[in-house]
Amino acid sequence: MDRNLMMERAEILVGSVDDLPTIPIVATKVLQLLDDHDVCIDDIADLMLTDQVMTARVMKLLNSPVFKPTQDISSLKRALVYLGLRHIRELALTTSVIHAFEGTSGALELNSFWEHSFGVGMVSKIIAQKIGYQDLEKAYISGILHDLGEVFLSNFLHDPFMEVLMHVKTHPIKLVDAEAMLLGTTHCEIGLSMARKWNFPESYCDVIAYHHNPGQAKIDPVLCSIVNLADLFCTVRGLNYGGREWISFKVCEEDAWTILIEAYPGMAQMDEERFCYELDDAIPDVTALVASIFDHN
Amino acid sequence: MVISDHDFGQIRDFIYTICGMYFHTSKKYFLESRLARRMEATGITACHDYFLLLKSSRDSKELNLLMDEITTNETYFFRNPSQLSVFETMLLPEVLELKNKMGFRKLRIWSAASSSGEEAYTLAMILLEKRATVLKDWIIEIDGTDINETVIAQAKKGIYNAYSVRNIPDAYRHKYIREANGAFILSPEVKKLVTFNKLNLYEDAKMVFMKSFDFIFCANVLIYFDAASKSKVVQHFYNNLQPYGYFFVGQSESLHGVNDKFRTVHFPGCFGYIK
Repeated sequence: MDRNLMMERAEILVGSVDDLPTIPIVATKVLQLLDDHDVCIDDIADLMLTDQVMTARVMKLLNSPVFKPTQDISSLKRALVYLGLRHIRELALTTSVIHAFEGTSGALELNSFWEHSFGVGMVSKIIAQKIGYQDLEKAYISGILHDLGEVFLSNFLHDPFMEVLMHVKTHPIKLVDAEAMLLGTTHCEIGLSMARKWNFPESYCDVIAYHHNPGQAKIDPVLCSIVNLADLFCTVRGLNYGGREWISFKVCEEDAWTILIEAYPGMAQMDEERFCYELDDAIPDVTALVASIFDHN
Repeated sequence: MVISDHDFGQIRDFIYTICGMYFHTSKKYFLESRLARRMEATGITACHDYFLLLKSSRDSKELNLLMDEITTNETYFFRNPSQLSVFETMLLPEVLELKNKMGFRKLRIWSAASSSGEEAYTLAMILLEKRATVLKDWIIEIDGTDINETVIAQAKKGIYNAYSVRNIPDAYRHKYIREANGAFILSPEVKKLVTFNKLNLYEDAKMVFMKSFDFIFCANVLIYFDAASKSKVVQHFYNNLQPYGYFFVGQSESLHGVNDKFRTVHFPGCFGYIK
Protein backbone atom coordinates (compact mmCIF):
# COMPACT_ATOMS: atom_id res chain seq x y z
CA MET A 1 0.00 0.00 0.00
CA ASP A 2 1.10 3.55 -0.70
CA ARG A 3 3.06 4.90 2.23
CA ASN A 4 1.80 8.46 1.67
CA LEU A 5 -1.81 7.32 1.77
CA MET A 6 -1.16 5.40 4.98
CA MET A 7 0.53 8.46 6.47
CA GLU A 8 -2.39 10.67 5.46
CA ARG A 9 -4.83 8.27 7.08
CA ALA A 10 -2.71 8.13 10.22
CA GLU A 11 -2.67 11.95 10.46
CA ILE A 12 -6.44 12.05 10.14
CA LEU A 13 -6.93 9.35 12.77
CA VAL A 14 -4.53 10.89 15.28
CA GLY A 15 -5.95 14.36 14.58
CA SER A 16 -9.51 13.19 15.16
CA VAL A 17 -8.87 12.07 18.72
CA ASP A 18 -9.65 14.87 21.14
CA ASP A 19 -8.32 13.24 24.26
CA LEU A 20 -4.98 12.06 22.94
CA PRO A 21 -2.82 11.67 26.05
CA THR A 22 -0.34 14.46 26.55
CA ILE A 23 3.24 14.32 27.63
CA PRO A 24 3.55 16.11 30.98
CA ILE A 25 4.80 19.64 30.70
CA VAL A 26 7.67 18.87 33.03
CA ALA A 27 9.02 16.29 30.61
CA THR A 28 9.08 18.82 27.80
CA LYS A 29 10.80 21.31 30.08
CA VAL A 30 13.39 18.78 31.21
CA LEU A 31 14.13 18.00 27.60
CA GLN A 32 14.59 21.69 26.81
CA LEU A 33 16.69 22.31 29.88
CA LEU A 34 19.00 19.44 29.02
CA ASP A 35 19.72 20.97 25.64
CA ASP A 36 21.11 23.95 27.48
CA HIS A 37 24.81 23.23 27.96
CA ASP A 38 25.23 25.28 31.12
CA VAL A 39 22.55 23.47 33.05
CA CYS A 40 23.43 22.09 36.46
CA ILE A 41 22.12 19.03 38.19
CA ASP A 42 20.33 21.06 40.87
CA ASP A 43 18.18 22.82 38.29
CA ILE A 44 17.09 19.55 36.76
CA ALA A 45 16.44 17.93 40.13
CA ASP A 46 14.34 20.91 41.27
CA LEU A 47 12.31 20.81 38.12
CA MET A 48 11.76 17.07 38.17
CA LEU A 49 10.78 17.08 41.82
CA THR A 50 7.77 19.17 40.89
CA ASP A 51 6.43 16.06 39.18
CA GLN A 52 6.15 13.39 41.83
CA VAL A 53 5.00 10.71 39.43
CA MET A 54 7.96 11.22 37.18
CA THR A 55 10.37 11.22 40.09
CA ALA A 56 8.96 7.99 41.44
CA ARG A 57 9.20 6.37 38.04
CA VAL A 58 12.76 7.42 37.48
CA MET A 59 13.73 6.01 40.86
CA LYS A 60 11.99 2.71 40.15
CA LEU A 61 13.58 2.31 36.77
CA LEU A 62 16.96 3.13 38.21
CA ASN A 63 16.76 0.49 40.89
CA SER A 64 15.56 -2.09 38.40
CA PRO A 65 17.62 -4.90 36.88
CA VAL A 66 18.15 -2.84 33.73
CA PHE A 67 20.50 -0.44 35.43
CA LYS A 68 21.64 -2.75 38.21
CA PRO A 69 23.08 -0.12 40.55
CA THR A 70 25.60 -1.50 43.03
CA GLN A 71 23.66 0.06 45.89
CA ASP A 72 20.13 1.33 46.32
CA ILE A 73 19.77 4.83 44.96
CA SER A 74 17.46 6.72 47.23
CA SER A 75 17.58 10.37 46.25
CA LEU A 76 16.80 11.93 42.92
CA LYS A 77 19.93 14.02 42.93
CA ARG A 78 22.01 10.96 43.53
CA ALA A 79 20.19 9.31 40.68
CA LEU A 80 21.06 12.19 38.38
CA VAL A 81 24.71 11.98 39.34
CA TYR A 82 24.71 8.23 38.87
CA LEU A 83 23.08 8.37 35.48
CA GLY A 84 24.54 11.50 34.01
CA LEU A 85 22.47 14.24 32.46
CA ARG A 86 22.12 12.71 29.04
CA HIS A 87 20.46 9.61 30.41
CA ILE A 88 17.99 11.66 32.37
CA ARG A 89 16.60 12.98 29.13
CA GLU A 90 15.90 9.46 27.99
CA LEU A 91 14.36 8.49 31.30
CA ALA A 92 12.16 11.56 31.41
CA LEU A 93 10.88 10.71 27.97
CA THR A 94 10.18 7.08 28.77
CA THR A 95 8.53 7.62 32.10
CA SER A 96 6.30 10.27 30.57
CA VAL A 97 5.17 8.00 27.81
CA ILE A 98 4.40 5.23 30.26
CA HIS A 99 2.47 7.73 32.34
CA ALA A 100 0.55 9.05 29.35
CA PHE A 101 -1.00 5.66 28.69
CA GLU A 102 -1.42 4.45 32.21
CA GLY A 103 -4.93 3.64 33.31
CA THR A 104 -6.18 3.43 29.75
CA SER A 105 -7.79 0.28 28.53
CA GLY A 106 -7.61 -1.07 25.03
CA ALA A 107 -7.52 -4.16 22.88
CA LEU A 108 -3.96 -4.92 24.00
CA GLU A 109 -3.08 -5.67 27.56
CA LEU A 110 -0.86 -2.83 28.68
CA ASN A 111 1.51 -5.02 30.67
CA SER A 112 2.28 -7.27 27.73
CA PHE A 113 2.75 -4.18 25.59
CA TRP A 114 5.39 -2.80 27.94
CA GLU A 115 7.02 -6.19 28.32
CA HIS A 116 7.52 -6.25 24.58
CA SER A 117 8.67 -2.63 24.53
CA PHE A 118 11.15 -2.94 27.38
CA GLY A 119 12.29 -6.27 25.98
CA VAL A 120 13.06 -4.66 22.64
CA GLY A 121 14.70 -1.78 24.50
CA MET A 122 17.02 -4.07 26.42
CA VAL A 123 17.84 -6.23 23.42
CA SER A 124 18.49 -3.12 21.31
CA LYS A 125 20.94 -1.99 23.94
CA ILE A 126 22.67 -5.39 23.93
CA ILE A 127 22.98 -5.38 20.13
CA ALA A 128 24.22 -1.78 20.20
CA GLN A 129 26.83 -2.82 22.74
CA LYS A 130 27.93 -5.83 20.70
CA ILE A 131 28.47 -3.85 17.51
CA GLY A 132 29.90 -0.74 19.16
CA TYR A 133 27.09 1.69 18.28
CA GLN A 134 27.98 5.01 19.85
CA ASP A 135 24.83 5.75 21.86
CA LEU A 136 23.58 2.81 23.94
CA GLU A 137 20.93 4.84 25.76
CA LYS A 138 19.46 5.99 22.51
CA ALA A 139 19.21 2.39 21.33
CA TYR A 140 17.52 1.46 24.60
CA ILE A 141 14.95 4.26 24.44
CA SER A 142 14.27 3.73 20.74
CA GLY A 143 13.47 0.13 21.52
CA ILE A 144 11.07 1.16 24.24
CA LEU A 145 9.27 3.66 22.04
CA HIS A 146 9.20 1.84 18.71
CA ASP A 147 5.66 0.46 18.95
CA LEU A 148 4.03 3.58 20.36
CA GLY A 149 1.46 3.51 17.57
CA GLU A 150 0.10 0.17 18.81
CA VAL A 151 -1.17 1.77 22.00
CA PHE A 152 -3.09 4.31 19.96
CA LEU A 153 -4.64 1.62 17.77
CA SER A 154 -5.44 -0.44 20.80
CA ASN A 155 -7.12 2.43 22.67
CA PHE A 156 -8.78 4.54 20.01
CA LEU A 157 -9.53 2.01 17.28
CA HIS A 158 -10.54 -0.70 19.68
CA ASP A 159 -12.92 -2.81 17.59
CA PRO A 160 -11.18 -2.70 14.21
CA PHE A 161 -7.88 -3.39 15.99
CA MET A 162 -9.43 -6.40 17.74
CA GLU A 163 -10.22 -7.70 14.27
CA VAL A 164 -6.60 -7.22 13.27
CA LEU A 165 -5.44 -9.17 16.33
CA MET A 166 -7.87 -11.98 15.57
CA HIS A 167 -6.75 -12.07 11.96
CA VAL A 168 -3.09 -12.38 12.98
CA LYS A 169 -3.93 -15.23 15.32
CA THR A 170 -5.61 -17.24 12.60
CA HIS A 171 -3.55 -16.35 9.52
CA PRO A 172 0.17 -16.53 8.84
CA ILE A 173 0.57 -12.78 8.44
CA LYS A 174 2.65 -10.16 10.21
CA LEU A 175 0.83 -7.73 12.49
CA VAL A 176 2.06 -4.71 10.53
CA ASP A 177 0.78 -6.19 7.23
CA ALA A 178 -2.58 -7.08 8.75
CA GLU A 179 -2.91 -3.49 9.97
CA ALA A 180 -2.19 -2.10 6.51
CA MET A 181 -4.70 -4.49 4.99
CA LEU A 182 -7.56 -4.02 7.46
CA LEU A 183 -7.02 -0.49 8.79
CA GLY A 184 -5.44 1.23 5.81
CA THR A 185 -2.54 2.38 7.97
CA THR A 186 -0.13 0.86 10.48
CA HIS A 187 1.29 1.49 13.93
CA CYS A 188 4.38 2.95 12.22
CA GLU A 189 2.55 5.89 10.61
CA ILE A 190 0.28 6.36 13.62
CA GLY A 191 3.30 6.34 15.93
CA LEU A 192 5.14 8.83 13.76
CA SER A 193 2.17 11.16 13.74
CA MET A 194 1.97 11.01 17.56
CA ALA A 195 5.70 11.41 18.03
CA ARG A 196 5.62 14.57 15.90
CA LYS A 197 2.74 15.94 17.92
CA TRP A 198 4.77 15.37 21.06
CA ASN A 199 7.88 16.94 19.54
CA PHE A 200 10.03 13.85 19.90
CA PRO A 201 13.61 14.20 18.66
CA GLU A 202 13.92 13.30 14.97
CA SER A 203 15.90 10.10 15.40
CA TYR A 204 13.16 8.60 17.60
CA CYS A 205 10.56 9.55 14.99
CA ASP A 206 12.71 7.72 12.45
CA VAL A 207 12.74 4.50 14.47
CA ILE A 208 9.01 4.64 15.14
CA ALA A 209 8.32 5.10 11.42
CA TYR A 210 10.87 2.70 9.93
CA HIS A 211 11.52 -0.11 12.39
CA HIS A 212 9.89 -2.52 9.95
CA ASN A 213 11.77 -1.16 6.92
CA PRO A 214 15.12 0.07 8.18
CA GLY A 215 16.32 0.42 4.58
CA GLN A 216 14.02 3.41 4.14
CA ALA A 217 15.12 5.21 7.30
CA LYS A 218 15.99 8.84 6.74
CA ILE A 219 18.19 9.70 9.69
CA ASP A 220 19.74 6.66 11.33
CA PRO A 221 19.29 3.39 9.39
CA VAL A 222 21.67 1.66 11.79
CA LEU A 223 19.52 2.55 14.79
CA CYS A 224 16.38 1.41 12.93
CA SER A 225 18.13 -1.85 12.05
CA ILE A 226 19.14 -2.47 15.66
CA VAL A 227 15.54 -2.04 16.79
CA ASN A 228 14.26 -4.12 13.87
CA LEU A 229 16.44 -7.10 14.84
CA ALA A 230 15.73 -6.67 18.54
CA ASP A 231 12.02 -6.75 17.68
CA LEU A 232 12.44 -10.02 15.76
CA PHE A 233 14.50 -11.64 18.50
CA CYS A 234 12.02 -10.63 21.20
CA THR A 235 9.16 -11.97 19.13
CA VAL A 236 10.71 -15.44 18.88
CA ARG A 237 11.69 -15.35 22.54
CA GLY A 238 8.13 -14.96 23.75
CA LEU A 239 8.06 -11.19 24.41
CA ASN A 240 5.42 -10.61 21.78
CA TYR A 241 2.20 -9.37 23.36
CA GLY A 242 1.40 -12.88 24.49
CA GLY A 243 2.12 -14.66 21.22
CA ARG A 244 0.48 -12.36 18.72
CA GLU A 245 2.17 -13.64 15.57
CA TRP A 246 3.61 -16.91 14.38
CA ILE A 247 6.98 -15.89 13.09
CA SER A 248 10.26 -17.35 11.94
CA PHE A 249 13.21 -15.56 10.38
CA LYS A 250 16.77 -15.93 9.17
CA VAL A 251 18.95 -13.11 10.39
CA CYS A 252 21.20 -13.23 7.32
CA GLU A 253 18.26 -12.53 5.01
CA GLU A 254 17.04 -9.45 6.86
CA ASP A 255 17.73 -5.99 5.40
CA ALA A 256 18.63 -4.84 8.89
CA TRP A 257 21.42 -7.40 9.03
CA THR A 258 22.89 -6.18 5.73
CA ILE A 259 22.79 -2.59 6.98
CA LEU A 260 24.51 -3.50 10.26
CA ILE A 261 27.18 -5.63 8.56
CA GLU A 262 27.96 -2.76 6.21
CA ALA A 263 28.31 -0.33 9.09
CA TYR A 264 30.02 -2.77 11.48
CA PRO A 265 31.71 -5.66 9.63
CA GLY A 266 32.61 -7.33 12.94
CA MET A 267 28.93 -8.08 13.44
CA ALA A 268 29.22 -10.95 10.93
CA GLN A 269 31.00 -12.95 13.63
CA MET A 270 28.08 -12.72 16.05
CA ASP A 271 27.07 -16.03 17.58
CA GLU A 272 23.32 -15.83 16.97
CA GLU A 273 22.51 -18.96 18.87
CA ARG A 274 24.36 -17.98 21.98
CA PHE A 275 22.74 -14.58 21.67
CA CYS A 276 19.36 -16.29 21.89
CA TYR A 277 20.37 -18.18 25.01
CA GLU A 278 21.46 -14.93 26.61
CA LEU A 279 18.07 -13.51 25.77
CA ASP A 280 16.42 -16.41 27.54
CA ASP A 281 18.35 -15.31 30.60
CA ALA A 282 17.33 -11.67 30.19
CA ILE A 283 13.62 -12.33 29.82
CA PRO A 284 12.88 -12.81 33.54
CA ASP A 285 14.61 -9.43 34.13
CA VAL A 286 12.31 -7.73 31.66
CA THR A 287 9.23 -9.25 33.19
CA ALA A 288 10.39 -8.25 36.66
CA LEU A 289 11.12 -4.72 35.48
CA VAL A 290 7.69 -4.24 33.98
CA ALA A 291 6.05 -5.69 37.05
CA SER A 292 8.00 -3.22 39.20
CA ILE A 293 6.99 -0.24 37.07
CA PHE A 294 3.32 -1.02 37.44
CA ASP A 295 3.51 -1.98 41.07
CA HIS A 296 1.71 0.83 42.87
CA ASN A 297 2.58 -0.12 46.42
CA MET B 1 27.68 -25.72 47.29
CA VAL B 2 26.87 -22.26 46.02
CA ILE B 3 28.89 -20.67 43.23
CA SER B 4 29.07 -16.90 42.95
CA ASP B 5 27.58 -15.37 39.81
CA HIS B 6 31.04 -14.36 38.72
CA ASP B 7 32.48 -17.88 38.99
CA PHE B 8 29.38 -19.32 37.37
CA GLY B 9 29.76 -16.92 34.44
CA GLN B 10 33.43 -17.79 34.01
CA ILE B 11 32.93 -21.53 34.04
CA ARG B 12 29.80 -21.31 31.91
CA ASP B 13 31.63 -19.28 29.26
CA PHE B 14 34.59 -21.65 29.37
CA ILE B 15 32.38 -24.69 28.83
CA TYR B 16 30.65 -22.88 25.99
CA THR B 17 33.89 -22.13 24.15
CA ILE B 18 35.04 -25.72 24.60
CA CYS B 19 31.90 -27.59 23.59
CA GLY B 20 29.19 -25.14 22.53
CA MET B 21 26.89 -26.09 25.39
CA TYR B 22 25.37 -23.11 27.16
CA PHE B 23 24.08 -23.13 30.72
CA HIS B 24 21.27 -20.68 31.39
CA THR B 25 21.27 -18.90 34.71
CA SER B 26 18.25 -21.02 35.51
CA LYS B 27 20.44 -24.12 35.18
CA LYS B 28 22.98 -22.84 37.67
CA TYR B 29 21.90 -25.38 40.28
CA PHE B 30 22.64 -28.16 37.79
CA LEU B 31 26.15 -26.96 37.06
CA GLU B 32 26.69 -26.42 40.78
CA SER B 33 25.81 -29.98 41.68
CA ARG B 34 28.04 -31.43 38.96
CA LEU B 35 30.93 -29.13 39.84
CA ALA B 36 30.55 -30.07 43.48
CA ARG B 37 31.12 -33.74 42.63
CA ARG B 38 34.30 -32.97 40.69
CA MET B 39 35.59 -30.59 43.34
CA GLU B 40 35.08 -33.21 45.99
CA ALA B 41 36.87 -35.78 43.87
CA THR B 42 39.82 -33.47 43.30
CA GLY B 43 39.84 -32.17 46.85
CA ILE B 44 39.54 -28.55 45.76
CA THR B 45 37.44 -26.30 47.97
CA ALA B 46 37.40 -22.95 46.16
CA CYS B 47 35.51 -22.67 42.91
CA HIS B 48 38.04 -20.31 41.42
CA ASP B 49 40.86 -22.81 42.05
CA TYR B 50 38.86 -25.48 40.30
CA PHE B 51 38.38 -23.16 37.33
CA LEU B 52 42.16 -22.69 37.15
CA LEU B 53 42.65 -26.46 37.19
CA LEU B 54 40.12 -26.84 34.38
CA LYS B 55 41.90 -24.27 32.27
CA SER B 56 45.39 -25.49 32.98
CA SER B 57 45.08 -29.25 32.79
CA ARG B 58 47.17 -29.87 29.72
CA ASP B 59 45.67 -33.13 28.57
CA SER B 60 42.15 -31.83 29.30
CA LYS B 61 41.79 -34.72 31.72
CA GLU B 62 39.83 -32.78 34.31
CA LEU B 63 37.79 -31.12 31.60
CA ASN B 64 36.79 -34.50 30.21
CA LEU B 65 35.80 -35.75 33.63
CA LEU B 66 33.66 -32.68 34.19
CA MET B 67 32.10 -33.05 30.75
CA ASP B 68 31.18 -36.62 31.61
CA GLU B 69 29.38 -35.39 34.71
CA ILE B 70 27.59 -32.70 32.76
CA THR B 71 26.54 -34.72 29.74
CA THR B 72 25.55 -38.03 31.26
CA ASN B 73 21.90 -37.34 31.35
CA GLU B 74 18.95 -39.58 31.30
CA THR B 75 16.67 -38.42 28.57
CA TYR B 76 12.88 -38.43 28.59
CA PHE B 77 9.83 -38.18 26.33
CA PHE B 78 8.70 -34.74 25.09
CA ARG B 79 11.95 -33.21 26.26
CA ASN B 80 12.02 -30.03 24.21
CA PRO B 81 8.47 -28.65 24.00
CA SER B 82 9.11 -25.53 21.90
CA GLN B 83 11.09 -27.54 19.35
CA LEU B 84 8.36 -30.17 19.15
CA SER B 85 5.63 -27.60 18.84
CA VAL B 86 7.45 -25.83 15.99
CA PHE B 87 8.01 -29.20 14.33
CA GLU B 88 4.39 -30.22 14.65
CA THR B 89 2.53 -27.03 13.86
CA MET B 90 4.86 -25.16 11.56
CA LEU B 91 7.45 -27.32 9.81
CA LEU B 92 5.72 -30.64 9.36
CA PRO B 93 2.74 -29.10 7.48
CA GLU B 94 5.18 -27.12 5.33
CA VAL B 95 7.28 -30.16 4.39
CA LEU B 96 4.23 -32.38 3.81
CA GLU B 97 2.66 -29.83 1.51
CA LEU B 98 5.84 -29.55 -0.51
CA LYS B 99 6.28 -33.32 -0.80
CA ASN B 100 2.62 -33.71 -1.74
CA LYS B 101 3.16 -31.32 -4.62
CA MET B 102 6.16 -33.32 -5.78
CA GLY B 103 4.23 -36.57 -5.44
CA PHE B 104 6.45 -38.02 -2.65
CA ARG B 105 4.45 -39.64 0.11
CA LYS B 106 7.25 -40.78 2.33
CA LEU B 107 8.46 -38.94 5.42
CA ARG B 108 11.95 -39.69 6.75
CA ILE B 109 13.19 -38.58 10.15
CA TRP B 110 16.49 -39.34 11.84
CA SER B 111 17.01 -39.26 15.57
CA ALA B 112 20.81 -39.25 15.67
CA ALA B 113 22.25 -40.54 18.93
CA SER B 114 18.83 -41.75 19.91
CA SER B 115 19.94 -43.21 23.26
CA SER B 116 17.14 -45.30 24.76
CA GLY B 117 14.70 -44.07 22.11
CA GLU B 118 12.64 -41.42 23.89
CA GLU B 119 13.08 -38.74 21.24
CA ALA B 120 12.37 -41.05 18.30
CA TYR B 121 9.25 -42.43 19.96
CA THR B 122 8.06 -38.94 20.90
CA LEU B 123 8.18 -37.99 17.22
CA ALA B 124 6.40 -41.24 16.35
CA MET B 125 3.54 -40.41 18.72
CA ILE B 126 3.17 -36.93 17.26
CA LEU B 127 3.04 -38.36 13.74
CA LEU B 128 0.59 -41.12 14.69
CA GLU B 129 -1.88 -38.44 15.75
CA LYS B 130 -1.92 -37.28 12.14
CA ARG B 131 -2.35 -40.71 10.62
CA ALA B 132 -6.03 -40.09 9.94
CA THR B 133 -5.50 -36.66 8.39
CA VAL B 134 -2.41 -35.16 6.76
CA LEU B 135 -0.37 -38.36 6.98
CA LYS B 136 -3.02 -40.69 5.64
CA ASP B 137 -1.44 -43.17 3.18
CA TRP B 138 2.06 -41.85 3.89
CA ILE B 139 5.04 -44.06 4.56
CA ILE B 140 6.69 -42.94 7.78
CA GLU B 141 10.28 -43.92 8.57
CA ILE B 142 11.95 -42.85 11.78
CA ASP B 143 15.55 -44.00 12.16
CA GLY B 144 17.09 -44.03 15.60
CA THR B 145 20.84 -44.55 15.73
CA ASP B 146 23.34 -44.71 18.55
CA ILE B 147 26.87 -45.95 19.06
CA ASN B 148 25.96 -47.68 22.31
CA GLU B 149 24.47 -51.16 21.92
CA THR B 150 23.03 -51.32 25.41
CA VAL B 151 20.83 -48.28 24.84
CA ILE B 152 19.83 -49.56 21.39
CA ALA B 153 18.60 -52.77 23.04
CA GLN B 154 16.65 -50.71 25.58
CA ALA B 155 15.12 -48.62 22.82
CA LYS B 156 14.01 -51.71 20.94
CA LYS B 157 12.33 -53.06 24.06
CA GLY B 158 10.28 -49.92 24.54
CA ILE B 159 9.85 -50.24 28.30
CA TYR B 160 10.45 -47.16 30.42
CA ASN B 161 10.53 -45.89 33.99
CA ALA B 162 8.42 -43.17 35.57
CA TYR B 163 11.12 -40.52 35.07
CA SER B 164 11.20 -41.06 31.28
CA VAL B 165 7.46 -40.77 30.81
CA ARG B 166 6.71 -37.98 33.29
CA ASN B 167 6.37 -35.27 30.63
CA ILE B 168 4.13 -37.11 28.21
CA PRO B 169 0.87 -35.17 27.79
CA ASP B 170 -2.12 -37.12 29.11
CA ALA B 171 -3.77 -37.54 25.73
CA TYR B 172 -0.70 -39.34 24.38
CA ARG B 173 -0.08 -41.27 27.55
CA HIS B 174 -3.54 -42.81 27.60
CA LYS B 175 -3.29 -43.86 24.00
CA TYR B 176 0.24 -45.12 23.67
CA ILE B 177 1.54 -46.15 27.12
CA ARG B 178 0.43 -49.03 29.28
CA GLU B 179 1.52 -49.32 32.89
CA ALA B 180 2.37 -52.72 34.37
CA ASN B 181 4.07 -53.28 37.73
CA GLY B 182 5.60 -49.82 37.78
CA ALA B 183 6.99 -50.13 34.24
CA PHE B 184 5.67 -48.13 31.32
CA ILE B 185 5.21 -50.11 28.14
CA LEU B 186 5.02 -48.52 24.73
CA SER B 187 2.24 -49.60 22.39
CA PRO B 188 3.23 -51.66 19.31
CA GLU B 189 1.90 -49.07 16.87
CA VAL B 190 4.41 -46.50 18.14
CA LYS B 191 7.26 -49.01 18.08
CA LYS B 192 6.41 -50.02 14.53
CA LEU B 193 7.26 -46.57 13.18
CA VAL B 194 10.84 -46.56 14.48
CA THR B 195 13.87 -48.64 13.53
CA PHE B 196 16.96 -48.63 15.75
CA ASN B 197 20.46 -49.36 14.51
CA LYS B 198 23.96 -49.05 15.82
CA LEU B 199 25.86 -46.25 14.11
CA ASN B 200 29.03 -44.35 14.86
CA LEU B 201 28.48 -40.79 13.69
CA TYR B 202 32.20 -40.47 13.17
CA GLU B 203 32.44 -43.36 10.73
CA ASP B 204 32.25 -41.88 7.25
CA ALA B 205 31.70 -45.14 5.43
CA LYS B 206 28.50 -45.87 7.38
CA MET B 207 27.23 -42.32 7.44
CA VAL B 208 26.84 -42.16 3.67
CA PHE B 209 24.00 -44.68 3.90
CA MET B 210 21.86 -42.36 5.99
CA LYS B 211 20.22 -40.63 3.03
CA SER B 212 17.46 -38.18 2.21
CA PHE B 213 16.05 -37.14 5.56
CA ASP B 214 13.33 -34.53 5.88
CA PHE B 215 14.17 -33.87 9.53
CA ILE B 216 17.28 -34.66 11.55
CA PHE B 217 17.40 -34.31 15.33
CA CYS B 218 20.72 -34.56 17.11
CA ALA B 219 20.54 -33.49 20.74
CA ASN B 220 23.43 -33.19 23.21
CA VAL B 221 25.89 -35.26 21.22
CA LEU B 222 28.08 -32.83 19.34
CA ILE B 223 29.50 -31.80 22.69
CA TYR B 224 31.44 -35.06 22.78
CA PHE B 225 33.40 -34.18 19.65
CA ASP B 226 36.27 -31.76 19.21
CA ALA B 227 35.94 -28.95 16.69
CA ALA B 228 37.30 -30.89 13.71
CA SER B 229 35.19 -34.00 14.31
CA LYS B 230 32.15 -31.89 15.06
CA SER B 231 32.50 -30.17 11.75
CA LYS B 232 32.88 -33.53 9.98
CA VAL B 233 29.79 -35.00 11.66
CA VAL B 234 27.71 -31.92 10.94
CA GLN B 235 28.78 -32.07 7.31
CA HIS B 236 27.25 -35.55 7.12
CA PHE B 237 24.00 -34.24 8.52
CA TYR B 238 24.15 -31.48 5.94
CA ASN B 239 24.70 -33.90 3.07
CA ASN B 240 21.95 -36.26 4.15
CA LEU B 241 19.27 -33.64 4.71
CA GLN B 242 16.78 -32.86 1.95
CA PRO B 243 17.15 -29.36 0.46
CA TYR B 244 13.89 -28.34 2.16
CA GLY B 245 14.58 -30.24 5.40
CA TYR B 246 15.33 -29.05 8.93
CA PHE B 247 18.12 -29.94 11.33
CA PHE B 248 17.82 -29.49 15.10
CA VAL B 249 20.38 -29.70 17.89
CA GLY B 250 19.79 -29.84 21.66
CA GLN B 251 18.25 -27.13 23.76
CA SER B 252 21.50 -25.50 24.80
CA GLU B 253 23.78 -26.23 21.88
CA SER B 254 25.01 -24.17 18.98
CA LEU B 255 26.63 -24.81 15.60
CA HIS B 256 28.39 -21.48 15.72
CA GLY B 257 31.85 -21.84 14.25
CA VAL B 258 31.22 -25.51 13.39
CA ASN B 259 29.60 -25.23 10.01
CA ASP B 260 29.00 -22.19 7.86
CA LYS B 261 26.75 -23.91 5.32
CA PHE B 262 23.77 -24.46 7.58
CA ARG B 263 21.74 -21.32 8.13
CA THR B 264 20.01 -20.57 11.41
CA VAL B 265 16.24 -20.08 11.39
CA HIS B 266 14.66 -18.60 14.50
CA PHE B 267 11.32 -19.94 15.67
CA PRO B 268 9.23 -19.18 18.74
CA GLY B 269 11.30 -20.46 21.66
CA CYS B 270 13.96 -22.29 19.66
CA PHE B 271 15.93 -22.34 16.46
CA GLY B 272 16.78 -24.84 13.78
CA TYR B 273 19.02 -25.07 10.74
CA ILE B 274 18.34 -25.22 7.01
CA LYS B 275 20.52 -25.66 3.97
